[in-house]
Amino acid sequence: MIDPVETTNQVVDIAKFGAAVGAGLVAVGAGMGIGRIGAAANEGIARQPEAAGDIRGNSIILAALIEGVCLFAIVLSLLIVLGIGN
Amino acid sequence: MNFLRLLLMAIVIVGSCFLTVTYSDHHTPTNATAFEDLYMHLMPAPMLSSQEHHGAEDTAAADDHGHEHPAEGAGHDTKHYVFAQSLGFLPSLMDGAPDIDGTQLVLTNLQVFQIASILLIVLAFSGVPGYLRTGRGDGMTRVLTGWILWIRDEMVVPNLGADDGRRFLPFFCSIFFFIAFMNLMGLVPGSVTPTTNIFVTLALALITFFSMIGLGMKAQGPVAFWKNLVPHVPAWMWPMMFLIEVVGLVIKPFALMIRLFANMTGGHMVVLSFMGLIFFFAGTDLSPMAWGVSVPAVGFGVFIMIIEGFVALLQAYIFTQLSCLFVGACLHPDH
Repeated sequence: MIDPVETTNQVVDIAKFGAAVGAGLVAVGAGMGIGRIGAAANEGIARQPEAAGDIRGNSIILAALIEGVCLFAIVLSLLIVLGIGN
Repeated sequence: MNFLRLLLMAIVIVGSCFLTVTYSDHHTPTNATAFEDLYMHLMPAPMLSSQEHHGAEDTAAADDHGHEHPAEGAGHDTKHYVFAQSLGFLPSLMDGAPDIDGTQLVLTNLQVFQIASILLIVLAFSGVPGYLRTGRGDGMTRVLTGWILWIRDEMVVPNLGADDGRRFLPFFCSIFFFIAFMNLMGLVPGSVTPTTNIFVTLALALITFFSMIGLGMKAQGPVAFWKNLVPHVPAWMWPMMFLIEVVGLVIKPFALMIRLFANMTGGHMVVLSFMGLIFFFAGTDLSPMAWGVSVPAVGFGVFIMIIEGFVALLQAYIFTQLSCLFVGACLHPDH
């Protein structure tokens, strides 16, 4: 699928390290974003328990959208790791 | 309960898994680690059979034009592609069989599950028209009818309006259930999820993209559609805003594609990584540790599969909801 690039060993290892760090940072971003949604959703349900259904539906959609953005970066990291070979 | 329908659906699912396991061949390099061996299951594998294409056991439509040569020298018996049709007008990027001349359209294990998803839709919804007409139907028919009415009332009509919504409801229902059945079948052992391949999700996103542009141009007129992309801005800002809006028009289906692909592939990859840990430890000097790792690994794997079942339906819902939003915004722009 992706042709491997002929590089030296050290550069390959640094590139893979970079991809791994990037993927970890993405997880931090996703966690922070979805955490804020969870906090706001729980607060809203606590104020007005009748709106629990609407809030739950909205929260799921927003969480999936944020996760979509984070998965962009995960796909990039995957491309880096799979595209570099010796 | 209509047992014939359930039996036919079970036959479709089990039959596709059986066909995939029997006829697909995953290219694994010989010195692969345990992880790479498992990850290769996420790549599409052409269906290969070790019989001649005129043999009695050939299941898919074998091409009679004699395009098949010994494709893979797997050991001592040669394997032929179950279906390989040469289409000369396609670019060589889409060549599925590089070792045969010409651009080949090859039957891979992904297509089997896409066809199975369509067959499942036809079978599962076969009682719905009768139920809507007469009011008599079994449990699955009622559930699916309620589901379609929910799609119509919560997703399509709020975004497209009542009459446009009724016209395009079959389109959005097809997208929703196609993706949902494909994703759910990927949880069955021995199966392949077509949406883990980026080209399948690219095709689905292109369907949304062309319906956005085509239906928008048909509803508003070809020139008015492009003019209505941009809100009211001063004339000197118009070229930049137009560029931004066109990029946004392209990026929205692109995001759909990446979101569906990455969610499905990520879930499968996490489960495969947990399973790969067992085999990784078995291959090292600490091989009794593989026995110790196996219980938590299978536990985590089951937990992630439960989440994956939820994510399968959620991603189908998100894809369809955003498609409704985008097509609705193109049909009835609010500026």
